[in-house]
Formats: sequence, structure tokens, C-alpha cells
Amino acid sequence: MPRLGLASTVLCLLGVCAAQDIRVPNSAVAGEEASISTTGNGKATLYLFGPGIARKADVDLSEEIRLKSNDLHGAGEYFAVICSGECHSASFYVAAAKPLSLTFLLHPSRVPVTQSDAVSGVAIPFDQYRNLVLAPETVNFQMTSGSASLFSRPVRTKDGIAWFRTSSGKSAGAVQVLASLNDLSARRALQQVASDPCNLRITGQRTSSGIMVQTEPVHDCTGNPVPDGTIVTFTATAGNEKSTVDAPIKQDVARAQIVASGPAVISAASGVVMGNELRVGER
Amino acid sequence: MTQAGNKMRYLDRCFRAALILVILIGSTLYSPATDPAVQVQLDIKKAEPRAVESLTERGILRDYRFAWTSMAQALEFNTLDPLEGPFAGEARQSLRDTVVSQQRSGLSQRYAGQQHRLEAVFYAPEGDVMELHDTAEYQLQFVEGNKVLSEEHIVQHFVVLMTPGADRWVIRQLQAVPQF
Repeated sequence: MPRLGLASTVLCLLGVCAAQDIRVPNSAVAGEEASISTTGNGKATLYLFGPGIARKADVDLSEEIRLKSNDLHGAGEYFAVICSGECHSASFYVAAAKPLSLTFLLHPSRVPVTQSDAVSGVAIPFDQYRNLVLAPETVNFQMTSGSASLFSRPVRTKDGIAWFRTSSGKSAGAVQVLASLNDLSARRALQQVASDPCNLRITGQRTSSGIMVQTEPVHDCTGNPVPDGTIVTFTATAGNEKSTVDAPIKQDVARAQIVASGPAVISAASGVVMGNELRVGER
Repeated sequence: MTQAGNKMRYLDRCFRAALILVILIGSTLYSPATDPAVQVQLDIKKAEPRAVESLTERGILRDYRFAWTSMAQALEFNTLDPLEGPFAGEARQSLRDTVVSQQRSGLSQRYAGQQHRLEAVFYAPEGDVMELHDTAEYQLQFVEGNKVLSEEHIVQHFVVLMTPGADRWVIRQLQAVPQF
């Protein structure tokens, strides 16, 4: 070994310096300084290629080569090529720093109540340089309606991703969904709406111009009023004739005027839900 | 018509035909979408919680290959345009920064013989994000001006996040890791 050192010194004095061996960081972190050293001596040129960077610099091989924090913002593989006469290269990895932001995708933004597995969310932690944090972290998912907790679950990230899936709650209204990781949190809003009508019931009476029919207040199976504008279809069968009228729900009730002078059977439906049948006699 | 005139016309036609052939072959060779140098295999068996649809599988294969072809072009010729379609977000910004740094330093990188073994490991329930693991193998040259500084045979692991765009899947994150 001493003979090698002497040879390299002699070569260097003749103007041919060489980097014998490049020592790169074992574990570097994004945004932190690191250093490279070589067993060579003399002047050389360092070329650094990595995520978001490609630069060259004159270096002295007998000294430690310092990589500034600015050089190492991107997580990934870096290549250090050191040339003095001939070129040698080595590579090293930079890991993401600690999480500083949380991307949270929530679906859907509007969901009917009591739907199984209807709500899902994906959380992805990133560090301050927007590197994906691959080290396992625990993300807490919470779903609340007012002060009531509908769902809470801690999920460990796998390959930088945590996700959940759950059913929607029983009550219509705004729901807050929170993903949190240590001090970080991302909040999303979800609107739960009434599901399909349940126990659709109609009443009716004959009037001078036909039959006036209306629903009782329309609710879903958990008692949430079905939104205004939901269409109820009334169908009247009189002998061989059949006529239909679409009416929107307005303040929980849908109303329609059906023209029929003889006896008629009237039914109602909303979406896939059928209501009761109503028999109205002759005028 | 003289015999010499006919011969000249025949030679002119031959020259035009050859020129058209050269242009056609050239355009095929340099079309990034059909670059035969980038080979991608995709395994979707481990994707969860959502299964990858066959149409999506084909889209990922096509767009991932195109992205690497574009990235190789951008880093070799130090041009930003190829990055505009196939990359988005942090992946695009990081590659743009690399290209700008290379332009400033007179450096470039040349990729050759790319082979990618891609595995979908996560596909979001609503299909709005997919994580893939890529074991990539290729020759990589680090170049200053016209001088090749170093040439490496690389086997590299990448964690990739892709999201669906308007008409294609785009790479949002492309992060090399020591192992999966």
C-alpha cells in the first residue's frame, strides 16, 4: 500500500493525479449536507448527477468533498463522477426527509347515506422538497359529523401510501374527514345525502278536473327527507288507458293532477322504489 | 426524346423515391412513441385494492414507455419540451431542474437499451392514483460536451406514482430507491 501511495504521488507530481477509490455517503437525507472522499490526491473535477441537479466543480482529492444541502434536495440515486486524467464514479442514495405535507384524496364528495364501502381516502406524505416519504408512518383517518365520530382508524403507510374505505353514515348532512400525521393534517368535506325513498305512500281525492294525488312526506329508510327535486312518477291506469305524470318533490311532498273521469288505479314510483296503489272511483 | 434524357428522368425518379424512403424510415426511427429501445413489461397481479382494468393496463404500458423515451431525449439533448406531456408535478419539476442544470454546466446523460420490469402495487379505490415499482436496467453515459465521462450499466429501482390525465397517464413521482 505505501508503494501505491508513493506511485500515485509521483504520478501526481508528473501531472497525472487519480482518484483511487471514491467513498460516498452510506445514508444521506434530502436537504442535509453530505461528503465524498477519495483515496487519491491532487486536483480533479467532480461531476454530480442526481434528481434535479447536474453540476461540475473543481475539487482537491486530498480534501473531503462537501456536498451542500442545496445539492441534495431530491430523494433518489446520485452519481458522483470524479475525473483527474481518468474518471471514476460511484453512486449513493438520498432518502426523503421527515413528512411536511400530506396529500389527501377523498371520494366521493357527495354520497347517499348507509352505502357500504362508499367512501374512500388515500393519504400520501411528502417532505419539504416534495419527495415521497417511503419510511412507514401512521396516518390517522377520522370522519365526524358535528361532534359525533363516525369512523376513526390509524393506518400505517406502505410504500408511502395509506388508504381507507368505509361505509357512509346514517344522517344526511356535512361530514368532515380528516387525515393526520403527527402535526400535519388535511381536511376534506363530504356531503351525505338521503338515500332512495322508503315506504313511498300516496293519497288522493277526486276534484272537479280529475284526481289530485300526493305523497306523504318522502323519507329514506333512516328517516332523512329525500331532497327537493327528486322525481316521483305517478301512473294512472283507467281501463285500457295508462297515463304517467312526473312530479318533483317540493318540501318533502310530490303532488300531481291526473285527468281521469272514470275509476282509476294510481301508483307511484321514485327511482327503483315503488309505492302503494290507490283506487279512485268514478266521479 | 433522347436516350440520355430518359436515363436522366429515370435517375431523377429513383432519387426522389429513395429520398421519400429515407424520410419515412427516419420519421419512424425518431418517433418517440414507437421507440423500440425502451422495453416495458407490466405486472398487475399485485395491484390493490382495485384491480387494474385491461384498458388501463395498456394505457400504463404505452404512457410509461413514452415517458422514459421522452425523459431520455430531454436529458440527452437538454430540451424541456419532451417533459411537458408525460410528466406532471414534482417529477416534471425535478427533470426540468436537471435539464436546466445540465444546460448550465454543458453536461448531458445518454440512456440506451432500457428495459423496465414494472409492477403495479397500489391502485386507489377510485382509480385516481397508481403506485408502481420499476426495476429498470439500462446503459447510462454521463457526457460533457462530446466527451463520455463515464458509462455505467445500471440496475435501478424506482417508486413511481402515476395519475390519469385528460388523455393519458402521467408520472407525478419518479423516485429511485436502493430496494423495494
